Amino acid sequence: MSPSIEIVGSFADEMACTHCIEKLRAVRPAALRVFSPIPSHHIEHAIGKPKSRVRAFVLTGGALGIVSAIALTVGTSWEWNLVVGGKPIVSWPPFIIIMFELMVLFGGISAVLSFLFNARVPAFEIERGYSSRFSEDRFGIVVRCDEGQGAQVESILKESGAEEVVREAA
Amino acid sequence: MAAAVQDTTTPSFRDVDRSVLRVMEMPGRIYWLWVAFCFSLVAFGGAMWARQIYQGLGVTGLRQPVMWAIYITNFVFWVGIAHSGTLISAILFLFRTRWRTAVYRAAETMTLFAVATAGLYPLIHLGRVWNAYWLLPYPNERYLQPNFRSPLVWDAFAVSTYLTISALFLFMGLIPDVANAREQSTGWRKTFYSLLALGWQGTDEQWRHYSMAYLLLAGLATPLVLSVHSVVSWDFAMAQLPGWHSTIFAPYFVAGAIFSGVAMVITLLIPMRKWLHIEDLLTPWHFDNLAKVVLLTSLIVSYSYATETFMTWYSGDKIEQMTFHMRYFGPWGWMFWVMVLCNCTIPLLLFSPRIRVNLTALWIISIFVNIGMWFERFVIIAGSLAVNFNPSQWAFYRPSLTELSITVASFAWFLGLFSLFARFLPIVSMTELKEGIGWLRKALRKDYEKAA
Repeated sequence: MSPSIEIVGSFADEMACTHCIEKLRAVRPAALRVFSPIPSHHIEHAIGKPKSRVRAFVLTGGALGIVSAIALTVGTSWEWNLVVGGKPIVSWPPFIIIMFELMVLFGGISAVLSFLFNARVPAFEIERGYSSRFSEDRFGIVVRCDEGQGAQVESILKESGAEEVVREAA
Repeated sequence: MAAAVQDTTTPSFRDVDRSVLRVMEMPGRIYWLWVAFCFSLVAFGGAMWARQIYQGLGVTGLRQPVMWAIYITNFVFWVGIAHSGTLISAILFLFRTRWRTAVYRAAETMTLFAVATAGLYPLIHLGRVWNAYWLLPYPNERYLQPNFRSPLVWDAFAVSTYLTISALFLFMGLIPDVANAREQSTGWRKTFYSLLALGWQGTDEQWRHYSMAYLLLAGLATPLVLSVHSVVSWDFAMAQLPGWHSTIFAPYFVAGAIFSGVAMVITLLIPMRKWLHIEDLLTPWHFDNLAKVVLLTSLIVSYSYATETFMTWYSGDKIEQMTFHMRYFGPWGWMFWVMVLCNCTIPLLLFSPRIRVNLTALWIISIFVNIGMWFERFVIIAGSLAVNFNPSQWAFYRPSLTELSITVASFAWFLGLFSLFARFLPIVSMTELKEGIGWLRKALRKDYEKAA
């Protein structure tokens, strides 16, 4: 097997970058990484990764919020059975408000924490192939492949409209 | 730049960056004088609060039966102001509304600082502020927990959740932008933005999780924004006082909150657009749409006033009818008519498309709305307390210098914090403007065509 290399292509246009990703996936490179200054559904679909796991974390966080609110409201009411205003000790309608608020609070905190965890931020190292322009106005594709595939990958990048194609040792 | 926009490729991503990052350059002396002025007022207000804590609530104008007045009015006013930020950033995000991209960051920032200002008032209003923790689910010395059937406890949960979620939402939106700022800055700013950016590089993996987290946060914030002002309204509606005890309060307060909040966004954005020279990012198209939201919510608020009056008449409740009679024609009746003028009549001018894009006229209308909505809260809160069940108790309130100083200080606190944010962090989202660059180009081309 020939040694691995990384080829970085830089694009000015989101759609050109998207089409290039679709073509590159057909070649089955060892790895494909895309940098983008904006969130792009086109690029996300072209890469074809599954939906983020953040959803499951938020669902769990929200459910945990509801359970915590039930424990808090019902538990503290039972702890000291004080009748206020002739209402039942466990009064569900007002407790639902606390359940709703804690569901949102726990769900929201879970969304942020699970984003940090899944996206691996804070990131202390710069990803290979990153350029500051990929945070500004350019889209970047980093392809890791065998040296034997290098020429084909470079030609796909250029044909798709890459402004610049750079080859680096992996 | 607006006048130069004739083709379909300007402004570019780089133009957007340049316009926003230029705002974040070191500000001049006038800016620092303004910030110093704001925080001097805050210091004065803080001193007045310290005096109130030392001497007790006797230094305020609060007397039986009006024990909730300017402080609680300010609390409701600022919570209301906060609502438009979440409306613009979360609800309009879910609807993919095109014009929100340029205005949402400023609205979201306004939300955070407005909730932070509102959150001070329940503390300021306390005679013994050191017991504020009693609102938290923490047992007292007799192991008695807070009463979760009380709307005041719901409010503590709702407002603190809102503050947390608003701060998280703002922070999440800032990450890609500060990463961009990090790449284009030097010195201490580079360190500052690098810390805030958390090593963001915009990889597909980062965007995949980011987009989902942001979408879900928006989804959670949407019902939250409706719940928070509903809960605030229940502080009043759950009581049996005539003028407060009403089932219409939740939707009425939510509509009023969005109305006053969007008006405050306009009040802030129009001078900011001029002083920060971001006319190329905030176009009349954006203001036209904001004005339409103000008009729509003004009509809802007017309808609520009419429904409330109808309900009072139809209920046949003499005490309720007396409260409303006093509200319209009593010693404080002028406040009600100021509120009707500012909230129901003046916003009707926004039916004119020409006025909606006349920024001077729009700014003046937005100020009237702010004044009107402040009076609305005062009329409901203090007005209803002053005229309660028992005419022998009726008494009208006069604000003291302490209350007025703290009110002015809260506006200064809000404006000072907003001014600091506007010059040191991206007050317009570069990422979202680039994402919807086609819409911005279209809006600017329209301006150009009109100018030509």
